Amino acid sequence: MSSRSAPSAETDVSNLELITQAQQGDRRAFGELVRRHRGGVVNVVYRMCGDANLAQDAAQEAFIRAWQHLPSYRPRSPFRNWVYRIATNVALDVLRREREMVDVDALPLAASDEGPEAAVEGKERGERVRQAVLALPPASRAVLVLREYEGLSYREIADTLGIPIGTVMSRLNYARNRLRESLAPYLEAL
Amino acid sequence: MTEHVTTWLGVYHDGELRGRRLRQVEDHLAHCATCRAELERLRVLAALLQESPAAGGLTPPDRFVAQVGLRLPRRPVQTAWQRALEVGWQLTPVGLLGAWAFIQAIFLVSGVVMGALQLDLGSDVTTWLLPASRQGSWLAEVFGLSGASLSDIGQIALQLLDSGGPLGWGVTLNLVSLVVIGLLYCSWLASWWARRYHRGEGAT
Repeated sequence: MSSRSAPSAETDVSNLELITQAQQGDRRAFGELVRRHRGGVVNVVYRMCGDANLAQDAAQEAFIRAWQHLPSYRPRSPFRNWVYRIATNVALDVLRREREMVDVDALPLAASDEGPEAAVEGKERGERVRQAVLALPPASRAVLVLREYEGLSYREIADTLGIPIGTVMSRLNYARNRLRESLAPYLEAL
Repeated sequence: MTEHVTTWLGVYHDGELRGRRLRQVEDHLAHCATCRAELERLRVLAALLQESPAAGGLTPPDRFVAQVGLRLPRRPVQTAWQRALEVGWQLTPVGLLGAWAFIQAIFLVSGVVMGALQLDLGSDVTTWLLPASRQGSWLAEVFGLSGASLSDIGQIALQLLDSGGPLGWGVTLNLVSLVVIGLLYCSWLASWWARRYHRGEGAT
């Protein structure tokens, strides 16, 4: 299910102060915002692109775009959602640019702390899941990543991606059906 | 048993169902093994998705922040003139609304004048519009008529203004001005959306 909860009111308040300072050109305040949202942004981009190095570059690009457009940010929606929106669009740009270069099957395996047999089995299963997610169409993948890995509500996903809630539901439904087909052997084994 | 609720199970699983629909799904799940099994598959899928490894070998946070800081471009500083222009641009709808109100006021006044003419106060208004001192001057030269017939011309002109065109000049001009103001507002709205999109408030 969701790996992150929605930001608390306290975090929102201090975020607002940092945003106001950063909007006035305070780079240190923006640095703190980057520190706070780095994990989420890198995760979103990584789940979208499937490559850690690419994800880090894309996350930096997302923060630079956020800095450039910060004066026009209005805190009607949480900063997190706003920056996720930028990150998702950067990830889609990266995917368009790197389509020929990134081979999903050739992406490096991630490290694991499990024992030898369980590690091999778990690593293989995790890798299949990652490949199945990467095989989804980008629009459905973005919705799935924001829901399953970032724990955003349907309303937040709709705001983040600029789509109606009905579209969020249908894309999520489509993504899950596709994943159930491609991961059927693993689902039955569990 | 009621119809299966598979369409709503994903939404239910995500905790996004409310009200009557939520009660309907819960009531159905209490009696339907098929839908319960379907819901369980969704839960297993969600758990399986979490097995996908997170990005490994990432740059430490401090270094990441420093790298971003080094790549941050200087933000262009707005001059007072640019700020004034920006404020003016933001106030365009208010200006258009003011123009519309002004035009409406003009038509209201002209309507009152026309009404006065129809109530047989026409000669006074014509005299006011075409003062005697000017009746023999430029109007006579333009129309090549004698001063005596100028009051008749004034009456005819006012009648034309009153009843010209299929809808009347007043209504036609009013409609044209409304269309022009509407088009200007639509253009402003389009550029507002374009700026919003470009700046990232919408979709950076």
